[in-house]
This record gives sequence, C-alpha cells and structure tokens, in this order.
Amino acid sequence: MSPSLVFACLDADTLGGIQQVTHTLAQGLAERGYDVHVIGLHRATDPFAYVARPRYRHHVINRGPMGSENRLTRKLADRRLRAIFDSIGPGYAVLTSPGVVTRLAGLLPERISPIGQYHGSYEHARGSWHLGSIRRHYGGLDQAVFLSDDDAWLFSEHALLPNTWSLPNPLACWPDTISSLAKPRVLGVGRLEGVKRFDRLITAFARSGVPGWELHLIGDGVELERLRAHAYREGIKGQVVFRGRVPSAEMAAEYLDASVVGLSSEHEGLPLVLAEAAAHGVPSVAFDVSGGVRSIAGALVPPGDVNGFAGALAELMRSHEERRRVGAAARSRVEALRLDSVLDRWESLFAHLRR
Amino acid sequence: MPDCTVVVITYNDAARLRRAVRSVLRQTLRDLEVIVADDASTDETSEVVAELRRADPRVRYLRREVNSGGCGAPRNDALDLAAAPYVMFLDSDDELPRHACKSLLTEIERTGADFVSGQISRLYEWNGRLERYYPRLFARRRVVEGIRAEPELFLDSFSTNKLFDVGFLRRNELRFPENLHYEDHVFTTAVYCAAERFAVVPWVVYHWRRASGANSISLSIKEMSNVRHRLEAAAISDRILREHGFADLVPDRQHRFLLQDLRVYLNPMPSRDAVWVKEFASIVRPYLEGVAPEVLDRIDPMLRVCCHLILADRIEDLQVAARSLNGPQAPPRSAVRHAGRTYWGTTVSPGLDITGLHLAELPYSASRLRHEITEITEITAAGSRVRLTVRTYDPFGVLGSFDAFLRCGSLRVAIDPQPVGEGGYLSEITIDLAKAGPKADPRIGFTRPDGHTTTDRLLVDPAMKPITVRGDGRQVTVRAEGPAAFLRVTSRWTGFRSHLPLLAKARRRVLKQVSTPAMKLRAYKALIRVLPPRRDLALFEADCGKGYTGSPRAVYEEVRRRGLPLTAVWSVARGRANFPADAGLVRRGSWRYIWTMARAGIWVDSHGFPLDYPKPPGTRYLQTWHGQGIKSVGFDAPDLRADFAKPRETWRAAVDRWDALVCPSTEFSRIFVPSNGYTGPLLRYGTPRCDALVRGQTPQGVRERLEIPEDRKVLLYAPTYRDQAKSSGKSVRVDLALLAEELGEEWVLVLRTHPVERFRVPQEVRHFVRPAGSYPEINDLMLISDALLTDYSSVMCDYAVTGRPMLFFIDDWDDYRLAERGVYHDLREIAPGPCVTTTAELVARVRDLPAVHRSFAAKYARFRRMWCHEERGNASARVVDDFFEVAR
Repeated sequence: MSPSLVFACLDADTLGGIQQVTHTLAQGLAERGYDVHVIGLHRATDPFAYVARPRYRHHVINRGPMGSENRLTRKLADRRLRAIFDSIGPGYAVLTSPGVVTRLAGLLPERISPIGQYHGSYEHARGSWHLGSIRRHYGGLDQAVFLSDDDAWLFSEHALLPNTWSLPNPLACWPDTISSLAKPRVLGVGRLEGVKRFDRLITAFARSGVPGWELHLIGDGVELERLRAHAYREGIKGQVVFRGRVPSAEMAAEYLDASVVGLSSEHEGLPLVLAEAAAHGVPSVAFDVSGGVRSIAGALVPPGDVNGFAGALAELMRSHEERRRVGAAARSRVEALRLDSVLDRWESLFAHLRR
Repeated sequence: MPDCTVVVITYNDAARLRRAVRSVLRQTLRDLEVIVADDASTDETSEVVAELRRADPRVRYLRREVNSGGCGAPRNDALDLAAAPYVMFLDSDDELPRHACKSLLTEIERTGADFVSGQISRLYEWNGRLERYYPRLFARRRVVEGIRAEPELFLDSFSTNKLFDVGFLRRNELRFPENLHYEDHVFTTAVYCAAERFAVVPWVVYHWRRASGANSISLSIKEMSNVRHRLEAAAISDRILREHGFADLVPDRQHRFLLQDLRVYLNPMPSRDAVWVKEFASIVRPYLEGVAPEVLDRIDPMLRVCCHLILADRIEDLQVAARSLNGPQAPPRSAVRHAGRTYWGTTVSPGLDITGLHLAELPYSASRLRHEITEITEITAAGSRVRLTVRTYDPFGVLGSFDAFLRCGSLRVAIDPQPVGEGGYLSEITIDLAKAGPKADPRIGFTRPDGHTTTDRLLVDPAMKPITVRGDGRQVTVRAEGPAAFLRVTSRWTGFRSHLPLLAKARRRVLKQVSTPAMKLRAYKALIRVLPPRRDLALFEADCGKGYTGSPRAVYEEVRRRGLPLTAVWSVARGRANFPADAGLVRRGSWRYIWTMARAGIWVDSHGFPLDYPKPPGTRYLQTWHGQGIKSVGFDAPDLRADFAKPRETWRAAVDRWDALVCPSTEFSRIFVPSNGYTGPLLRYGTPRCDALVRGQTPQGVRERLEIPEDRKVLLYAPTYRDQAKSSGKSVRVDLALLAEELGEEWVLVLRTHPVERFRVPQEVRHFVRPAGSYPEINDLMLISDALLTDYSSVMCDYAVTGRPMLFFIDDWDDYRLAERGVYHDLREIAPGPCVTTTAELVARVRDLPAVHRSFAAKYARFRRMWCHEERGNASARVVDDFFEVAR
C-alpha cells in the first residue's frame, strides 16, 4: 500500500504560489495512488478552486481567517488535527512554510514523518524571521526541502541543517506550441509591488535602446501610479503598456505573444513566470537573486545591475536568432519541471526517507 | 548489506553505553549496523548489549577477552568486521545527533570523497549547552583536495566526527595505533596523508558529552602519563607526515600542537604545583625544541611566552604567565620596555616579546593592572565579613596619585594600597559580603585626579576553598572562578526570602500576560479615542530613545531658550543616560510612555515613534529625520522590499502621521520625500542638528573624556551598518591592527559604530582605537575630529558642513550598491574625498591628507552645494518659528 501524504498550509485556498504548487502536487501524487490530504489551517477569505475534480481529501481546520486564533480555537484546532492524523496511515506530512512547521511539528504522530518545505530563497529568508525559524525548527524534521540545490546548500551552511534536500516546483501544464518570438514585445509579469522592482525593468527597457519594442506589464497592485510616473520620467510612456490582471487561463496566449521576458525582482524563490516563459520557448533576463532563478533563467545579471540588465535585454531584442537559441535552451532546461519528473523526484525523496 | 557501520567502543560504561547505542538506533538512517566493541568490561555491559540486541537485531557484539587499555584495539577489531561500505566511530559516553549518519552518507555518496568530516559539538550535561568546536573550520561545506590545501584542519584530529569509506581505510591499511592514548591524533594524521579528497560539512554530527563535576578528562590530564601519550602522539604524527612526503606540513601540525594540545595543560596550570609543572616542562621541552621558530612566531604573544618559559625551565614564571591565558587575561607582574619593544618579565629576551599586545600604550582607563590575592580569610567573629590581602602589580607604571576602591556589585569600599617593592602595592581590604551584589566579580579600581578610572578583576589561589557566609537573609559565597582563578561572589536568598525569586517570577509572568505589546496598543487606541491631547505637552525622542541628541535635541534646546510654555518629556531607552534635567523622562515602551504619547499634543522625533501607533487626533508630529545621503531609503530600502506587504503598509501609515518634515536640501526633497511617499509640508530651513556644526565651536572636555593625547590627531571612523549583518560587528571593515601600526604615532581613531551595530574593540588595538559607539552626542565627535573616515553613512553630509577632510573606505561598494542596500548616487563620482578599498591605500591617503584634501576642493564644494546649501546655523530657530510659534 502506498503511504499517506499530508500537505499542510496556513491557508490552502487563497490565490498564491504555495497553494497552486500544493494542489498540483497533491493531485499528481493522488493519481499515483497515494492517500493524499490537503490541510488548510485557516479558511481563505476568497477561496480559489485549483483542481476541478480533486482526488485528495481537503480539510479546513479553523473557520476564521489567519490571525484570528485564540487559546480556545487553538485547542479545538489541535483536536481536529489530531483526529485527522489518527485517521490516516503511516506516511509523510509536508509542512509548507515555517509558520506551519512550528504549528504542526509537535502534533504529528510518530508514524507520520515531517518534511519541512520552504518556498522562498535563502536570500529572502535571511532578510526576515524565516531564517531564524528555519534554523531552530527545520533541523529537527526528517527532511528540509528547498527549491534549488543552491538554496539547499546555503541553508545547510547558514542554518546548519543536516537534512536539506531540493525539489523544484512543478509546471502545472506543458505547452505543445511555442512562441514565434516575432512580436517586438518584452513581457513582465507579477503583482505591481515594491519587491518586484518593475521600476528597474522599466529603466532597463528604456536603456536597452532598441526602437520599435513595447514593454507589457501584467498584474496589478499599489505601485501602479508610481510605475506609470517612472515610465514617464524615463521617457518611454508610450512604450510601456500596463495590462492589469490577466486570468491564468489566458496567460499561455500572453507568453506566445512575447519575445522576451524580464524579471527584475528583489527576491524570487523559484519564479513560475520564468518557468512558464521557458516552457513556451521564450528567453528571459533576470537578476541573479536566488538559486531558483539560477536554475531556470536564460540570461542572468548581477542583482541590481540595471545597465547589465539593459544590455542583456538589448542583445535578445536585437537578434531573432539569439532569442530562438536561448528560448530553446530554456525550454529544454525546464523539462525537469514537468509534473511527471517532479513527482518522480518526490518519490525518490520518499525512498531516501525510507533508507 | 547495511549502508553504514557504527562502531561503539566501551569499557565498563554499561549505563551510558545504552544511551550511545540508542542514539544510533534512532538515526534517520535505518539501514545500518551497530558493532559494540567491548574492551573486556567487567560490569553488566554484556547484559545491556544482550538486551539491546533482543530489541533490535541491527546490534552486533564483539568482546575482547583481555582489556587492551586503549581505544585503538577495539576499534580495529570492529573495523575488520564492518559489513557496510562506510563506517563511523562513537564512544560509549557520547551520542550521535539524529541525522548524523544519513547526512554524512548522502554527502560521501554525492562527493565520492574518501571521508567526510562534520562539526563536533561539546554538550555540557549540567546545563544542556552545546558548544561547537572551532566552528570556523567547518563553516563552509566543501570538498578539500588533500590536507595540503588546508593544513589548518590538523585542528580537527578526531576520528569520531567522520564517516569513512571502509574501502579507503582498508586499501591504505589505515588502523588505529594500539597501546597509545590519543590514537585519534595519529590515525587522523595518517588518514590526512592518504586522502586525496575529503569533504567537510558545517552541521553538527557528533555530541561530545561532558559530564558535570570531577570528570574523567580533568583527572586524566593531570597524569604525567597522559602528557607523555599526547607528546608521543604528536611526535609520531610528525614522523608520519615526514615519511609520507608531507614534511612541509610538519610546522602546521606543530602549530596545532601549540594551539590545542599544549593549551589543554596550560589552561589549568595555575592550579598545579611547582613539582608538577617542572616535570611537565621537562616532558614537553624536547618536543618544543624541535618546533620551528616560525611556528612560534605565528601564535599569540602570551602562548609564545609560555613556550619560551618551558624551554628555559623557568617554572615559577611559567605559572605566573599561564594565568594570563584565560579569564581576565591578566597582565604580567612586570614588564621591561626597551628600544620600543615590550618584554614579559624583568629581562630583555626576544622570546618574551609581548609588544604585539600593546599593553604598555593603553589609555589610562583601559590600562591593565594585576591584582593577586595573597590571603583571604573569613572574619568569623564579625559575621559576614572577609579580609583580603591584595598584591597589586603595575607593570607599565600607570599609577601616580589616585583614590582606590574595591567594587563588588553595588558595594564599594575605599581602600588604601601601600607601595611595596617596585611598581607594586599592598592592600588590606575588609568587605561585608552580605552587602555585595547578587552576582559579581569584585574589581579593584584606581581613580586618577582627572576622574578617569581603571579597574581589573582579582586573581586568587585556584585551590582556595569557597567561603560561604550568611547575613541579611542571604547566603553569599566567594570562590575562585575558571582556570585562571579570579574571584567571584555569588549569593542566594535564604529563609522565607528564598521564595522571592519565585514570587518575582510569578509577578513577571502576570505582568507579561497583561503588559503585552498588543495590550498596550489596545489601551493606547482606547485612550486616544476618549482623551484629547494637551496642546502644551511635547514628547521628544531621538534615535528611538537611545540618546539626547540629533535634531530633536536642537529643537528642544531652542524651545527652552525661548521659554515657550511647553511641558517637555523625553523618551529614554533602557539603560541610556545624559538626558536634560529640566524635562520629564519616560522609558520608551513603558505604560507611562504610552500615556504620554496619547496625551502629547506635539510629537518630535528623528526616526519614528512606534510604527503601529496611530497619532492621536489633533496631535502635531514634527519629523526631523536623522540623515540624508546616498543610501536607499523608505520603500526602496531592503527591509521594505521583501515579499511581505505588511511592513510596507505599516510604514505607509507611519509616514502619514507626519505633519511637517525637516527638509535639509533639494536633494533630500528629490529623493527622500518621494521614496517615503510623503506629501505633507516641508520645512526647508536646513538641519537643526547641524547648527552646532555651522557654529563650529570645539566642545570642551571631549578629548579628555576620550583620553586622546594632546599630540594626536583624531580620525573619526563612522561606518554605517550592513542590513544583512546587524549587530555582527561586520561593518568595521578597515584593518584596525594595520592602521594602528601605520598611523598610531600620529593619530587616534575614534570609532563610532552605527547604533544597530555591536562591535568589541580588540585589546591589541585598544591603544589606538577609542570606542565611541554609545557616546551620547555625535556632533561632539565631529567637532573634535581632524578628519572623517566613513563608507556610505549619512554622516558624510553633516560632516561636509565642517569643511574638514573626508575619506571613504568602500571595499564592498559593488555589493552594497547592487545587492546589500542600494544607493541613489555613484559615491565615487560625488565623494568629497578619496575613495579607497584597502587599508594600505587608506594609510597612504591619510599620510598625505592636506594635499589630498586640497586636490578635492572642487568636488568638496560641489558636495556641499548638493547637501548643505541651506545650512546657515539657524535651522533650529526657523523650525521652531514655523512649527511651534505659529501654532500658539
């Protein structure tokens, strides 16, 4: 009999990266015969159905949203969690963030092996409470799983973790068609938030100096007006198109229409944008901000080096041949992120845990 | 075939053996075998093993018929039987952490190394504390291409923190020597010679348990046979190196011997008698005579002195010198200065050169005296009093006229040291222990007429019996602490008062539940809903309460000068002083502080009142800010660029509280204002805190307070912090030792670290560096300085007001500019002085400072136009006109 699997999130149903990955993996492993349970510790205020017909069980523990827990609800939640764990067979529990690890590690019965996951980069953890929490708690788990080999390495050095492992996030689907790379369009995707540093993408695009191109930014957020003003100051108001939010079903069409993708974020774990762009054969330029980015990006630029970014963009914008070459290489590199290979890697992690 | 064999050697240690074996059976690696190699125990070991085997078939048992007397033979026996391709060794009194086997196995499979070595950690059983052994050796996870690449790793000569490839050991016939303690040392030396590549991992793979009380180690290192075994192991190790073509590494192996092996015996030497020391020295001497001189040059001066005293068979002196290795690192009893060098003792001898410690050049308050208690007796008739006779040595002749005292916690007793001999004093001191603090190291202090005081701890006979007295409801104990044996006083309550700590704990627990930050915020929000703020109450805060300084201070002084009818309250962080007497003081974060925030109609600060506290309706908030410069700020700074929205929302709300912002320059309004999303009124009158710099009056008494000799110039070194390494001391990037050596004759370095940084000035540069990280007023430091050395700190823009030379040490410019922080300007373009990246370059520029400064005249003028255009010395007045007078 296949082992049981629990995926636990603070909030399993809000629209977000961790949640999408969790449901994709849960469904994939359920289809491979595992008894899978997805646990959300809190109810999402705005739930999103990631999988149309889930083959896994789904539990929401607290009726209230995050941050509403008090001593009584915590006790009740503990009881519900214990009941769930008691009802399932031996296996593994994937705790998807530092908050979940501290909340659940103590409640798991011995026959369920705790696996701590971290969806950010080492560089991001270092700037927040995450690094301290990971240092204190992840070493006691059976495995600590990070997004890339580099991240696993850095956590083993700086959080002194003996049990690191790396597993990339999967691509939910694999496109058959790839972009023609003919439209003069650079694409940026993400929430318009400070962390994404679209101001740098705009500046780099302005400095790339290749005429006739447009920069399309997909996403919304509080920085919209600041970025508009920034594009105006850079003198490329007409070339920057703020597209707002695009439904995920229509994103494939966006990648097919793009010729280059730029990712200028201050922090990224394993950015789905780069992976999806690569799957569509679109070359990308990114700041070298994490092991995850290094593992999939086409052209890497030192963090914050806007002129370098502009140069890398320009090189791709000028040559269709170069775009095709880099794009094809990117697509073959992210083959490793296809759901089946990622699920295989999860199963080899389980095999490692059984050694 | 199992993946890994763990060999557990044991001899008459049945109880702990069970614990050791269980730590292996609990490993996350399940596919392993344990071989218990029993060196013919006579206790119940075999029953314990039988019980373990019944419970878990992975346990194998190997018993020697006759005791071998060492660890080598049983390990070799077990090694021959190992069924797995990899092997680890564990001692019966220690434990393996859960992931040890699997993590090392994964690493050796990944790297294909001959062995993998991991961090070893001492576990002190009496307090559960873990202490890593030489963490820097293991800091980087790496593959080492042979020991020649990193000979410092001789310091790691354990066989227990490693996973070995059994094939590698067998191919090279690597076995433990038998009939020798410290077989580890010899074995690892041979292993290092044979290994072409080995891996090092940073995590802990071995818990070396140290039992409390008189443990086996402290007893065994007292045995001369132990010393002989260790010496023999060192000699054999050196020979192995020579025989295997590693003769060039012998000095590195010897270096390890001095640093580690010799130290083991030198540390407790103060408690050994002269006979022991003499015999010890005679055993060690032949080996030391073979140690290359350049190895002795590499070690610390005091360790080198000890080596030379062993070589010279100066037993009494060796005992005196060994006391300087630990604890308070006491100075010598006497020293000689000759031709610019300082020598330990009374003679000029090259081997005893301690110039590198710079003890003779220290400023008075940091200077070192050696206090030795020659007699300590309890005055039984007088209850809780003890009498001390203390011999004070002043090896560098720093004492002239003085008032002397002994301080013990809150207790202070005047003493009257009488001169004896050369540079020595004798004091008879009586102290009432019942009045001493709860826990204290007594110190003797000498205060000079100019008010400077130097203090040092007291050395005592290590064999001293602890004295315990009762009085005042307490039981007080004085005893010798640590291997260097200095005097320590501890106490605890007796009788009904012994419950006081419990009561205090209970009280704290209750307070903790009521006085939470969330509770305070809730109470505050309720207060500001019902209470109107008082228009005549102003709350001032600078640097989050850390000082009475900055623009809030300048504004406050102007308000006071005009006699405006305001009640002023200053916020004071815990442990800070130097606040004005004519203002109310509240501790930052206290309930009174919350109350004052709610009631004050005027808020003035330079950083930000607690960010999540909304401003009471009607209160006016003057934000002066605390600096302008090239560093990214506000929403562009790293702390607000992370992938969390909450800090940004909090900051946005915090900025919305500001009603007026001091705006010192157009550059500030171009950068700072939009970067923080501030849209309110700007006060463009210059910077209040810079008024003092424009006036340029040298403050009185500051040089004296910092003990700067009259003939020295002052280089103010003020580096900013690194966002990723706060409180780490890493912002001090200049090589202080080199700077001291090159510039010490002419300059003194005043080190002003950033408030969020923590840095301890090393003793050997203390003669050149004056720590001023917590000096209350940075303007004073600027005004007494002759030049500024900084990196990216905003202090450069204030300092430009003075027109004095500036230097910039920017060795991490690219990292800082692109990744670490982010900047708005190219410092190399706009800097009003030279930008250097090495200390040598810095030295050259400082030596040629006047000419260098002249050559930057045009850039300096441009820099001033950019940042200090508005500074006319009347900013405080104009800010008060605008913000305070109009409101009246």
